Amino acid sequence: MNSLWQNARNFRFVVLLPLVLSLLCTLNLRAQDGKALFKVNCASCHYASSKKGTGPGLLGVLDRIPAGDWKYKWVKNSTALIASGDAYANKIFLENNKSVMNTFPALSEKEIDAILAYATTGPDEKKAGPAVVAGPGAAGTDVTLNEGQGSIGTTALAIIILVIIIILIAVLRYAKINLRNAVHSNEGTPEEPGLPFIESAKVWINNNKKIVLVIGLFLMGVLVVKGWYSLKGIGVYAHEVKPGKWVGYKPEQPINFSHKIHAGENGIDCQYCHSTVEKSKTASIPSANVCMNCHRVIDQTANEGSKEEIAKIYYAVGWNPDSAKYTGITHPIKWNKVHVLPDHVFFSHQQHVKVGKQECETCHGNLKAMTVAEQQRPLTMGWCIDCHRNTQIDMKEDEKGNYAGNGYYASLHEKMKEKYGKGAKITVAQAGGIECARCHY
Amino acid sequence: MANEKKYWQGLAHLNNDPSFVAKQQNEFAEYVPVEEFIGDKAIVENASTNRRDFLKFLGFSAAAATLAACEAPVTKAVPYINRPEEITPGVANWYASTFFDGYDYASVIVKTREGRPIKLEGNNLSKVTMGGTNARVQASILGLYDSNRITTPLMKGVSKTWEEADKAIGAGLQQAKGIAIVSSTIISPSSKQALSEFMGKYPKTRHVQVDAVSYSGMLQANLSTFGKAMIPTYRFDKADVIVSLGCDFLGNWVSPIEHAKQYGISRKVSAEKKEMSKHFQFESMLSMTGANADERYPTKASQLGQVALGLLNAVGGGGSASSVLKKEIDAVAAALKAAKGKALVVAGSNDAAMQVVVNEINKSIGAYGTTIDTNIQDLTHQGDDFAMKKLVDDLNAGTVDTLIFWNTNPVYTAPKALGFVAAMAKASLKVSFATHRDETAMKCDWVCPDHNWLESWNDHNPRTSQYSLQQPTIRPLFKTRQAQESLLAWSGNTTSFRTYIQKYWQNNFLGRQGMYGDFTQFWNHSVQDGVATLVNIPAAPIVVEDHNFALPNDSVPPPAAVIAAPTTEAIPFTGKAISLGEASSQLSAAKGGKFELVIYQKVAMGNGSQANNPWLQEMPDPITKITWDNYVTMHPLDAKDLQLFGMTQEGGKDVMVRFDQMENELDMVEVKANGHSVKLPVWVQPGQVRGTIGIALGYGRNETFGKTSNGVGQNIAPATGMSASGNISYDIFDVAVTKAEGTHLIATTQQHHTMMSRNEDILRETTLTAYQKDERAGNKINDMHTYKGQQHVEQVTLWNDFERPNHSWALAIDLNSCIGCGNCVVSCNVENNVHVVGKDEVRRSREMHWIRIDRYYSSDTVKEEAEEKGELGKMSMYRMMENPAFDNPKVAFQPVMCQHCNHAPCETVCPVLATNHSSEGLNQMTYNRCVGTRYCANNCPYKVRRFNWFNYVEYHRAEGENLNPAADTLGRMVLNPDVTVRARGVMEKCSMCVQRIQGGKLEAKKRGDRPKDGEIQTACSQSCPTNAIMFGDLNDPNSEVSMLEKSGRKFEMLEVVGAKPSVFYLTKVWNREDEKAHI
Repeated sequence: MNSLWQNARNFRFVVLLPLVLSLLCTLNLRAQDGKALFKVNCASCHYASSKKGTGPGLLGVLDRIPAGDWKYKWVKNSTALIASGDAYANKIFLENNKSVMNTFPALSEKEIDAILAYATTGPDEKKAGPAVVAGPGAAGTDVTLNEGQGSIGTTALAIIILVIIIILIAVLRYAKINLRNAVHSNEGTPEEPGLPFIESAKVWINNNKKIVLVIGLFLMGVLVVKGWYSLKGIGVYAHEVKPGKWVGYKPEQPINFSHKIHAGENGIDCQYCHSTVEKSKTASIPSANVCMNCHRVIDQTANEGSKEEIAKIYYAVGWNPDSAKYTGITHPIKWNKVHVLPDHVFFSHQQHVKVGKQECETCHGNLKAMTVAEQQRPLTMGWCIDCHRNTQIDMKEDEKGNYAGNGYYASLHEKMKEKYGKGAKITVAQAGGIECARCHY
Repeated sequence: MANEKKYWQGLAHLNNDPSFVAKQQNEFAEYVPVEEFIGDKAIVENASTNRRDFLKFLGFSAAAATLAACEAPVTKAVPYINRPEEITPGVANWYASTFFDGYDYASVIVKTREGRPIKLEGNNLSKVTMGGTNARVQASILGLYDSNRITTPLMKGVSKTWEEADKAIGAGLQQAKGIAIVSSTIISPSSKQALSEFMGKYPKTRHVQVDAVSYSGMLQANLSTFGKAMIPTYRFDKADVIVSLGCDFLGNWVSPIEHAKQYGISRKVSAEKKEMSKHFQFESMLSMTGANADERYPTKASQLGQVALGLLNAVGGGGSASSVLKKEIDAVAAALKAAKGKALVVAGSNDAAMQVVVNEINKSIGAYGTTIDTNIQDLTHQGDDFAMKKLVDDLNAGTVDTLIFWNTNPVYTAPKALGFVAAMAKASLKVSFATHRDETAMKCDWVCPDHNWLESWNDHNPRTSQYSLQQPTIRPLFKTRQAQESLLAWSGNTTSFRTYIQKYWQNNFLGRQGMYGDFTQFWNHSVQDGVATLVNIPAAPIVVEDHNFALPNDSVPPPAAVIAAPTTEAIPFTGKAISLGEASSQLSAAKGGKFELVIYQKVAMGNGSQANNPWLQEMPDPITKITWDNYVTMHPLDAKDLQLFGMTQEGGKDVMVRFDQMENELDMVEVKANGHSVKLPVWVQPGQVRGTIGIALGYGRNETFGKTSNGVGQNIAPATGMSASGNISYDIFDVAVTKAEGTHLIATTQQHHTMMSRNEDILRETTLTAYQKDERAGNKINDMHTYKGQQHVEQVTLWNDFERPNHSWALAIDLNSCIGCGNCVVSCNVENNVHVVGKDEVRRSREMHWIRIDRYYSSDTVKEEAEEKGELGKMSMYRMMENPAFDNPKVAFQPVMCQHCNHAPCETVCPVLATNHSSEGLNQMTYNRCVGTRYCANNCPYKVRRFNWFNYVEYHRAEGENLNPAADTLGRMVLNPDVTVRARGVMEKCSMCVQRIQGGKLEAKKRGDRPKDGEIQTACSQSCPTNAIMFGDLNDPNSEVSMLEKSGRKFEMLEVVGAKPSVFYLTKVWNREDEKAHI
């Protein structure tokens, strides 16, 4: 019995470990404002290092430039400063081949200070920063880290409950045996020889075959289901894959492309890359030549690992950055599809985006905040149908009360108005949008 | 009842054969042998697999399947590195091109998806095919993805590089004593230029054109009549009276696509046009064209010549009257004379004598200049039988020792009597451009594989002043080279053929058009349109001197194209002219033996060059409904005389012991003709003339040709003979037919999916005179007695109507213009990824076609009379069979697809709502919801639902392995990505091409407009050459289908069932006098 207690004491350590871990993950490792502002406003031309981009590298910039208000004037409107005849302004204008820096009148002085504070220290600042905490599998990003630890928390909770149950059983059993021995000693009957734990367990199992069978089957079932979904999760960052639902499906990609950087921070329109969304049923993953429109010039950014990732595009399209020439040797990029619909579903982007005027976010979530593209909507048939049941048809009317929307729907909408009454909420489903052959053929 | 016509689907039906009766009760014809297997104790006891083993296997396979499924479900997406500007993933591109294989010509547009050609449609800009295609053209897209294509140059079957081939062949050509390039008809001006360049380099070269099916007799006849070897163009749309002498002009003769288009125009009737052409047909076997004829006169092949002479006499062209079919000939002649200038006589024979006489008839009835245009000439058949004969002589003499075969296969197609195979063996160098290891290529030293037509550039000149371009729609899949480029390479010219054509067009054609001054513009427009009309260099027009007849109005100027053909378009022909007198004596000398053989071409198989195409092999023949075979068609009494099918004479009485074509185990006969003999099964064919048999060309390909064609049928081409005029003859007047050992299993769809004899409500017919009096003639109104009094069946229903607020899609099918050609069947297969199941499965009634063409025979009620007299199955009944009404059944075709019932019986019985109704009038089938109970198929009154018995994508059987395009790694590139490929255990059926409807709607939505009528087309309606199938929206009051729905000819199939189909039919109107209209 003692050994059992001993084991239980060891468990305390096991219990504590996840608790400590989950405590850690509540620490909010927010990036500094300066970094964020730099990425949004400056990173397309400047590096936070000594490397020269379109503009000069900003490492140690505060030591170079004139002290005082000069930095604010320059950032807010450099052209005006140059025109005013400022000597240093004209010097760096010439040094950088007379390329004009964008004006940022909206940035406050405080913000400019934050940006320069971040930029002038360069990548060193980052090394001391959040990267230390990054666990395996997380590519140094905050979002992933949090989620990874979140899942550890759930597991820990399950383990705690399990441990409590085991302790409870052990205590009860210990009490029962002690009580029985007490009874025996009271009555003067000889104390039953205590069977070793394993032997007694065998006896119990023998006497309770049915319960064991049920528990065994249950455990096996759990094992199979868990095993099944863990297998499905191979090569996927967060394995929160629920049966039939792929929310959270976030496969590793051959290139660590970040929608957050491109669509979020740099504000590139979705259709710049997914250009066929209004022309075709597919929005299409952009061909690598689209990447090269920008990355021919931008061979690295302030983001860690950017050079290696961008080099992967060069490898794919066969671009030699040194000679600035195409070699003609190409290697197509094999992306892992994130939003996968089964083959028996016909989904048309143009119907939804061009005709139905839906936003990308409706089905894809806020990709502008995703470093690794992730499925955020279930994309199940039930989910599709829910949307079709709830989405109201645009019954646009002019002053005279005539239908003024898409001419295709004119006659249909008149009939719907007749049927459901003027001003009634009419959904896509009522117009036939949940019939089988709209998506399955 | 007694006055009603009896319809029958086959002889077994007519005879009420016990097996047919049994099958008729069993509406679901599929047979599952499970019970037999389990019930057979011997099998179970002797099986090496006992129950425990079975459980072990079961457990193992479950575990294995689980393990196999454990792969992480990662779907890859590989975008272009550099997306071509014109390609938008998910959107089809269409390119104009041209199909010409030396047999069929069609100007087409090719649908490509992400660079893969997947569907063909007719090019509406073409003045030759006018947007039409036929089954062979539709199916030809699969030829590109044929895994039996030759992939590299071969030397005696061993793979070589092009450098090696060029070196060896170049050396061989230098030493040649005489070179012959043997090709099918070349209608490409640039290719002819390349040929002449080759001949410039090797002056001892000659070019011999030989067609797989020869039209040499027609060339000779026109040379005799007009002094110029040519084939004129025919205008069936302008003819009020059409007389065909054994000519299958709708399926296989000269320009069948165009003829079908024209015929469709002349056969359509409407409230505005209550006239239609009258079609007479003299023939010995029931052809598809004959089945469409208003009057069909069964005639022995050997007597067709006398009929022609008799007809010439009767229309006033001289000569003597016919001794056979006097009455019929007089009737036809009267009709021809009454329709002078609007009449046309055609003959299918390749005998110049026959064609000379027909030319004379056409002169007498004023056909030239009205229904026949001698100045716009058809150039697609230039094969010269005389040149071929000369080549054989020269090969034997040793003056020609080098042969180059280009898109031709004489070892397979030439008559045995020609002795080509032996002569060819004497040549020292034989090169073939074959794409497959065909019969000729296997005997060649080198095979230099040509591109598929979808991979090559070419230009075509199918007829006077009409040109079309062929542009590649995909890069070559294999290491092949276009034949023209090979010829150019051997003559030392390394230009690509595209540049070569461009140069040729710039030098020769730029000046012959008036539209564009700049060549780039002219070229780009021509490539985009696929066709170009060029003005011809004026030459003397052919003047047809009339015998007794002047053109109806002399002031009418001759057609614009009388500018006539330039010398470049002249057909080289080496035959000699024959006189009318010679022709007449040759024809009257024709004598038939005990059996006459007609060698014909099927609508599906044609000359057999596409025999490796599973879509064509599985397409049922329009008349016999047989797939995957050729056979001997025979009259029932001939079959009895040969003691086939157990028909013997016992005790002086005729007893029919076994006549069960139902089970389709056919007795065999051996046919010997012209030194060639074949053993083929006998198909007893109604309408076949006694003493004649028919065998189709295009079967019996060699083993190496392809996996699909392997072992299918027998080749009859060597049995062709030589007519007295010197051309290849496909009608052999004396053949020996004897009973052979064994039987042959045949796969026919004839009695599949039977309709429980509800005939009177299936097909409705009337005659033109009755129709002219009453639009509703032959179209009875189905009323019912109800408590409210007499009501139309439409109003008697238990169900509420579905609302159709937006669209109400419908198909209208004009039975009058349906010729039964089966183009819709193949087109549907291509569009909808319909699986090919193979002969074995067709035998089990498991063909998957979404659309079928039912063929009904009808006759006067001979059978019922016999039953009344108690003479069923007796000799007297067979004597009655001998009378023409029975020998010559009337035939009607009816395309049947899912009727998209608005009160669909299938929908109410589906336990999982896998089939239900849309608000647009479609009966939807959702495969991923289907659990395969097959209740719907059982409850369908039209038998249009198809069940996937196997996972045909991975289904391999020893017999006919991998036939299904979807099961072949290369073949599956042809699949339409917008349509689900169905798996095992689900029901499927016609979806009314919902993917096209949805696509068309989306285009309209993007425009902000309603779809225009005709903008959306189903695959069947689009491809129908006669416009018999029309698709549209009934909610659009101006659509074609809305107009037709109001027509008095409109009827619904099995209207009394109350299913309210979205598909409706228009009654068939016959231009017959003697028919009792059955109202």
